[in-house]
Amino acid sequence: MNATLSFWAESLPSLISGMVVSLEVTAAALAIGVPLGLVAALLVQSTVRPLRWVTLAVVEIGRGAPALILLQLAYYGLPYSGLQLSSMGSAIAALSWTTCAYTSEIIRAGLQAVPRGQSEAAMTLGLSRLDALRFVIVPQGMRVAAPALLGFAILMLQASSLCFAIALPELLSKAQLIGTMTFRYMEILLLAALLYAAICIPATLLVAAIERRLGKHAA
Amino acid sequence: MERTGEARLIVEVKGLGKSFGAHKVLDGVDFSMRAGEVVAVIGPSGSGKSTLLRCLNQLEQHDEGLIQICGIGMQAGLPVPRKDMNDLRRSAGMVFQSFNLFPHMTVLRNISLPQERVLGRSRAQADERSRALLERVGLAGKADQYPARCSGGQQQRIAIARALALDPRIMLFDEPTSALDPEIGLEVLAVMQELAEAGMSMIVVTHEMHFAETVSDRVILMAEGRILEEGPSAEVMRRPKTARAQQFLHAVLNR
Amino acid sequence: MTPENALLIAGGIWWTIIVTLGAFGLGAALGVPICAMHVSRSRALHVVAVVLIVILRSVPPIVWIFILYFGIGSGWLSIGPVPAAIVALGVITAANMAEIYRGALKSIHPGQWDASHALGLSTWSEFRDVMAPQIFRVTLPSATTYLIGLLKDSAIASTIGVMEITYLAGFLASKQFGASLQIFAFAGALYILISLPLAAVARIADARLRMKVAQ
Repeated sequence: MNATLSFWAESLPSLISGMVVSLEVTAAALAIGVPLGLVAALLVQSTVRPLRWVTLAVVEIGRGAPALILLQLAYYGLPYSGLQLSSMGSAIAALSWTTCAYTSEIIRAGLQAVPRGQSEAAMTLGLSRLDALRFVIVPQGMRVAAPALLGFAILMLQASSLCFAIALPELLSKAQLIGTMTFRYMEILLLAALLYAAICIPATLLVAAIERRLGKHAA
Repeated sequence: MERTGEARLIVEVKGLGKSFGAHKVLDGVDFSMRAGEVVAVIGPSGSGKSTLLRCLNQLEQHDEGLIQICGIGMQAGLPVPRKDMNDLRRSAGMVFQSFNLFPHMTVLRNISLPQERVLGRSRAQADERSRALLERVGLAGKADQYPARCSGGQQQRIAIARALALDPRIMLFDEPTSALDPEIGLEVLAVMQELAEAGMSMIVVTHEMHFAETVSDRVILMAEGRILEEGPSAEVMRRPKTARAQQFLHAVLNR
Repeated sequence: MTPENALLIAGGIWWTIIVTLGAFGLGAALGVPICAMHVSRSRALHVVAVVLIVILRSVPPIVWIFILYFGIGSGWLSIGPVPAAIVALGVITAANMAEIYRGALKSIHPGQWDASHALGLSTWSEFRDVMAPQIFRVTLPSATTYLIGLLKDSAIASTIGVMEITYLAGFLASKQFGASLQIFAFAGALYILISLPLAAVARIADARLRMKVAQ
């Protein structure tokens, strides 16, 4: 027990530095992917057909293909089409794509939950389509989508562990590295699991609380 | 204001038709009104009253006939040019049964935002106008509240102020009191009456027979997508000619 | 994309399906007792179920797979990559299926319990004849959607050497650097192709359910 604790204490700084990378890649993927998801949510409702189809393809591929495949596609595949990305760059590109695809569906549902009367009121007041979206529909739709988006952010932090496969020095990679050096796999992987849980459990409880509060508000 | 003056038509509708699928909601509707007139549209549920109003400001596109409103002509089947559509939305203010205030904005923002975005007023100009209008509908104290904190009657008065802020030439009311308790509806009707007396052109789709009779100049009674009777309020309400109209008025007046 | 490459990657479909269905079967079965504990009157069982669900869901699947394969596998008992993947994904599935079952239980009108009590049905026949068919119907759409997600999660098994689609794609890409893009694109397309019939089942089941509720 004592041996484990001192091993954990020794390894903690390395794992923490890995966790910072996990959080960075997650934050970047969300910062890029969620706005793109909003754009995609609006474009799949576009009346311009080619635009709608292209968006639909981007969304369906992003949701249909495993994130692990997208990560390797960006890391190993893109250099041969002339785009060389670092493992951080590939991770952000692939996870942004996944984020865009999934959040576009979440946001679309949020936008659809805005009552029709809201866009009718905006229309009769003479607001342009873009203004109606910007000032009336999107702010309300995003509010509806917020709990689900926060839930997705937690899943994204978990998905960042897949970046292990493209040699990004995030939390799991660090743990695995220490494991191969010391052969104390069980202890180091448990510590990594604890660190993930230490973020994800409070975050999950927080999202549930927010959901309850919004639910009460609506009722 | 003199209502019977020069015959400048602010609304003219000829042969208006509208179907939802196989169901014909409006069928050969003709009517016109002069600027400054107040017209009440009454009739049983499903008679096409609301659809008529929604066609007038093109929330629904009509399938047949011609609509002219505030000098903008719209022929069925032809797309309305963007400029005309903008003019239409600016000239015709709309008040909905369900108020449709923007819940994420304060009352003041609700009224000021369209002025800034549509008329290009500065924030200060818009807010000044908004506060004056809130004063006019008796809600000066509500400016910084959110709509959810206001009663239904207050929300509807705010919605009226919001529509008035764009200085419309005509106001369209779609059952403005139907979602309200009768005594709450009265405070909304009072605002509308004041508006009518100030000379605003108004079309009011309503179940309020008292309002139709006392405030409006003219009543249009609709049933099954057609205009059944039309004329000065007292005449239509007191001496309906058709049996269908008599039946409807008998039912609602003796309720 | 050469036909040889395509065939080789497609050969991984079997392991992908075995891992996916194995984990789903395990999870669908284990989910029942976890759900039962969650709704049980015993406070202790309820807390155990909640803690179990929260912990299983709060650690990334790949970490669970590593714990099983490298952690337990390195010291305690030797476990092959396929069982490790199935068990790891299976217990995570169990937590999620328990929540899906619980949602279904909640959606069934309390009157149904009363009605079957009033008819004098025994608890077992009550469950088998009245509740189970309803739970199945309500569960089907979300369970199918979960199965599609699990299909994609099964790609993680490649990291411990299960020779499924993603593993074979990575293997090929390491031999033919120049073709990496096509290889991974083809592998991604395979997953989408496999999930299409599942998505259709989910859609139809969902539509049926809505119709049933509407009637």
